[in-house]
Amino acid sequence: MLRRLISSIRRALKPGRLLRITPVGRIYLLLTMGIGLGALNTGNNLLYLVLGLLLATIVVSGVLSERVIWDLEVRRLLPEGAFAHEPFTVRYELRRKRGQGFAVRVRESGSLESAGAWAPVIVAGRPVVVRAVATAPRRGPWALEAIEVSTTFPFGIFEKIRTIAVSDSLLVFPRRGFACDSPARDQSLLRGELGSSRHRDGTADLADLRELAIGEDARRIHWRKTATTGKLITVEREREERRQITLNVDERLSGDELEFACEEAAGQTALLMEQGYDVGLDVGTRRLRPAHGAPHERRILSALALAGFGSER
Amino acid sequence: MRRTPGVISRDLAALAGFGAVALPGVLPLPVLVIFPFALILSLLDIRPLAGRRTASVIVLLVIALGLFGAVATSALDLVIAAVSFATLVTCHRMLAEPTPQASRQVLLSGLLLVSGGAALTGEVLFAVLLVAFFLCASWSMAWLVLAADEASVDSAERRAISRQLILGSLATLVMALAFFVVFPRLSWNLANRRAAPGLGGQTGMSDTVRLGGGGDIKTSARVAFRVSLIPDPRSERLESYWVGRHFDVFDGAEWRSSGTPATPSSVVGLHRGAQRSLNQVSQEFETTPAYGSRTLVALDTPTFFARARSISLSGMVPMALIHVPGDQIFGAIDSNALSYAATSDQLSRIDRTPPDPVGGLAVPNLDPRIATLATELSGGATESLEIAQRLERELKRRYEYTLELPGDVSDPLADFLFTRRAGHCEDFATALAIMLRLQKVPSRVVTGFYGGERAGDRYVVRSGDAHAWTEAFVDGAWLRLDATPDTGRAASSNAWTAAFTNAWERLEAWWRARVMDYSFQDQVSFARQLVRPSRASAPEAEASSPLGTRVPLGPAVLVLVGAGLLVLAVQRLRRRAPHPASSFLEELEARLKARGVTDVATVPLEELSASLARSGHPLSPAVARATRRYLEARFTNRPLEARERRALLAALETSNG
Repeated sequence: MLRRLISSIRRALKPGRLLRITPVGRIYLLLTMGIGLGALNTGNNLLYLVLGLLLATIVVSGVLSERVIWDLEVRRLLPEGAFAHEPFTVRYELRRKRGQGFAVRVRESGSLESAGAWAPVIVAGRPVVVRAVATAPRRGPWALEAIEVSTTFPFGIFEKIRTIAVSDSLLVFPRRGFACDSPARDQSLLRGELGSSRHRDGTADLADLRELAIGEDARRIHWRKTATTGKLITVEREREERRQITLNVDERLSGDELEFACEEAAGQTALLMEQGYDVGLDVGTRRLRPAHGAPHERRILSALALAGFGSER
Repeated sequence: MRRTPGVISRDLAALAGFGAVALPGVLPLPVLVIFPFALILSLLDIRPLAGRRTASVIVLLVIALGLFGAVATSALDLVIAAVSFATLVTCHRMLAEPTPQASRQVLLSGLLLVSGGAALTGEVLFAVLLVAFFLCASWSMAWLVLAADEASVDSAERRAISRQLILGSLATLVMALAFFVVFPRLSWNLANRRAAPGLGGQTGMSDTVRLGGGGDIKTSARVAFRVSLIPDPRSERLESYWVGRHFDVFDGAEWRSSGTPATPSSVVGLHRGAQRSLNQVSQEFETTPAYGSRTLVALDTPTFFARARSISLSGMVPMALIHVPGDQIFGAIDSNALSYAATSDQLSRIDRTPPDPVGGLAVPNLDPRIATLATELSGGATESLEIAQRLERELKRRYEYTLELPGDVSDPLADFLFTRRAGHCEDFATALAIMLRLQKVPSRVVTGFYGGERAGDRYVVRSGDAHAWTEAFVDGAWLRLDATPDTGRAASSNAWTAAFTNAWERLEAWWRARVMDYSFQDQVSFARQLVRPSRASAPEAEASSPLGTRVPLGPAVLVLVGAGLLVLAVQRLRRRAPHPASSFLEELEARLKARGVTDVATVPLEELSASLARSGHPLSPAVARATRRYLEARFTNRPLEARERRALLAALETSNG
């Protein structure tokens, strides 16, 4: 009972609102004080009337801005991936149950760097999706705890800010940096047919049909053509040779060294995959076999993003 | 943001602010000319100062230095200089590129103008301009807040914004009144400016009376002064003469006064012993800027003047009085308006001041036909009184009253008597005075006012009530004679104009009593009334109430507060009251739980229904029906009747599960 009372008092004392005075609001308050002093000094009732109007404007401004933000619900729609130090888009869905909201600004509370998103009007029952361009100053997992919604409506003299708890997590990939040295070919993986420079795994596009040479893998025989021609015909694929590279990042590094290593690895992953390499990754605690394609690149980037964040994985 | 609603309402707000400072009529002429010019350019979206910031700021600084110099040399009042500069800054910002920042600067300088207006004026029109400024400025500021995305706001959303702003503005105005009433008055109206020069004086209370002019003033409905009378005559209209000045020297075209001013003093008593008369009427005057003269008027015949105060831009200050022989009283200093007390004796001929032996009968070189006419009109009477009365009667009978007297003539009196045969009060008064002198009866012309209309508990006298008449020295005392036909005595303003000015006058009276003179004492009595309603009689209660109403304020406020709380409570209860269909859902869930469906609490009803249907549960048909009706009742316009509700729940009981 006592605990509940204390918590309700705390809630009353800390209503989760912040009032920021805008530059024009500062001048407005100075003028209000000046007019108030003038009224007190002279006893001029018309100055009291002007003062009353200015004070009432402050009160009504507070009430109307509260009406704008108190009933607002916000949902964060994060991108699938984001790179550190590179701008990315965060979308926010704003909705309210009743009434209207005007001049609403949405921004992340104390985490990502973002100018925020802007919604001029929000009408009850009609969700509004707005976009903000954000930047993460570092790679790694980000816990997004809260969103700030604010408004300067109606008069622009105060900005009322409400912080809404909306929990999400965002994995920020390392920035793609330039590597000084080209990575070495991954010799450890060249075993069996994979190790052969003439390996044929049947995965590439069809390039040609030719007679099977001696010593070549009999599993690649094209049986229908062999039956037609009466010769052992093998399939020539476009990519006759697999180029595989495994990138190494020493997770025991720390600070900028680890960051640079991750950024290099991310940059090389993109570059090598573009050149047709299968790229693998070894970060000590996690090892990814060489492969290619966007999903694999995302796996590598995720592993790089988590490098050094062992406890948070 | 060119010619957007924000910019247009910004300009209108600036206009209201300018109106507030222009109202007292104290702004220098260049400023009065520049602002309308700048406003028109801004409304036409012509912005000559866009891109010329440095040059224009330098010009403003030079003007500021000039104004500072004028203040330093006492050539200009500090407040007037400040509002002049604020007006020029407003113009500067209006003619610059209409950025949100420039618009906000216009509004802030407009606020300075309104505050300056509050310091300079006391007119009720200020309240109108203040409200206009507030509404336009609120509108503009709201659009400035939305300026970043104004184009993306459609018309329905504009209407929604407008609704919010209108509600907010009304709430602000009501709250501003509440602040005004309760904000403690810690000073005592020491520098209250109650009046302003306005459009200047119009009463014609000048140092001379020159014949030949038109009578435009008679159509003016502007209030010249307000006066309260004790004892109160309680009539709607007064048929009274208010004496201002006496003129005894006539040169053929113009009347002058020959008296020499006496030493200024705080009180002036006239006609020794007359103050003890039982016919005394006490008067409390307050002249307006329309009066525009230092001459003090009072009911005929004045006996005493005192407690004179000058109402000027620097406030109300006591003023000495100057007595000029011939019963003319002047204020010692120039001012926008005056307040003073006077007493008069309306019944007795108490003015026995002998006329100047030469001046009282002096006649300039006039048309000889006038003397012949005077003899003819006097009808051979020999007694002074009879001569005076005959001349008065005949002039009134034979000549017409008119205000249409265009042109300038060399001998206005002859022109009136023999050519036009029509004139206004000055012509009649002059003709009578001169004819009396030609008949050896000392006479003089008096200017002042005739009439008076009831306005609240006081009377107002308008500029149009300005009048001139004649006094003749008959049987040892001055006798008032008025040869002007009755139709021309009082103001001849348009009936609609008079009705409007009457209403305006009542509003002004309310404004002065309830707003301008609202004081700490009023606050105390208001607070007392809230705590303990007055047992005073109705008129007293009305007088002490700041809102001027007979409703007992304490209970009224309590009732209002109680009603407000009740509305809030009902709203809260409504907000918290569950939907009628929710109780059905609760009952349904309870029945299902009783029938052994365990996951009722964790799974939404529609999912539970689908799950039961998939598993072929015997309760499934009944649950499906109940679910469908619950969803319809909860989210569509098909409420659940009590009978149907009972049937649905009963179906659950009877199903074999």
